[in-house]
Amino acid sequence: MADDNKALAQGLKRRDPDLLDQLIEQYQFRLFRYLLYLTSSRERAEDFFQETWIRVLERGHQYDGNYKFEAWLFRIARNLVIDWQRQKKMQSLDALLDPEEGAPMEFAAQNQPSPLHMILSAEEKIGVHASLDRIPTVYREVLVLRFQEELGLEEIAGVLAAPLSTVKSRLYRGLEALRGAMQGSAA
Amino acid sequence: MSENLHARAEKLIAQERIEGISQAERDWLAAHLRECAACAQVTQQTNDALRVLRGLPISLPRGLAERTQFRVQLRAQEMREREPKRRLLWVMCAMSWGLGIATAPYVWQAFEWAGNRVGVPRLVWELGFGLWWTIPALVAAAVVVLENLRQANERDWSGR
Repeated sequence: MADDNKALAQGLKRRDPDLLDQLIEQYQFRLFRYLLYLTSSRERAEDFFQETWIRVLERGHQYDGNYKFEAWLFRIARNLVIDWQRQKKMQSLDALLDPEEGAPMEFAAQNQPSPLHMILSAEEKIGVHASLDRIPTVYREVLVLRFQEELGLEEIAGVLAAPLSTVKSRLYRGLEALRGAMQGSAA
Repeated sequence: MSENLHARAEKLIAQERIEGISQAERDWLAAHLRECAACAQVTQQTNDALRVLRGLPISLPRGLAERTQFRVQLRAQEMREREPKRRLLWVMCAMSWGLGIATAPYVWQAFEWAGNRVGVPRLVWELGFGLWWTIPALVAAAVVVLENLRQANERDWSGR
């Protein structure tokens, strides 16, 4: 695995076009899913998806292969979303960077039905969408990284640029919120 | 059964899925769950919630990978085309600094001679000499900054 990552790092340094094509194919679903959870907008997720790969091309030399490529990829994607939020000045910087201290981080527009909601409504006739929408994005994000992407705690801390203790506390709260929300929807 | 035991069990149920637990803790939890229906239900609910989260269907926009690959290839081509210009800039800077170092004693004498001839204070012609040294570096830095700004603007326009 470490050798694979090193080879990947070398290819990214060279800006190997075949490698980039292959990576885009390989990670398209996971990256898009992560961005969708983060933005709750298909259009934005699509924009950020493309922008993330442009960044991967431009900054590929910064990936050293010492950790999982997907963790680096998600971090780039997350930073792009945060940068965009900063530019839009929709939320205060403090709330974005330290959501535990203030209002929970919400990347999605609050007054629109989330695409997650719409996708689920269309594709699966179960009450899951309402339950997930009730979980703040900051918790949903770590749940996705841990239980869908199966990243390690340190890797999640790397993606979030947050201390391990913060990651753990968000996961515990997130899991509790998820269980509570599912229970609520089942009742 | 004590409230503390249930609280410990609930904590271990979450911890097992988030961080993992030791064998002794796993044994204790298994024994507790055999006796406690409420905590067994919490386990079941947690498993169900995670199963649902893992199984959520999400469809990809059509042609997303192809469109992204096309954009990335275009950008890569653009970067390849710009690389020689950037290299030329650094070569010129290096030559300029090399020449500057090689000719420094003569230029110093020239500034001194001109300063004395015009009758300006020593500090003024020394500052002039300093500027003569730093101007190429400042120009190179300005070109790089402007180039990066231009690229960022182009990306903003093409990206959104």
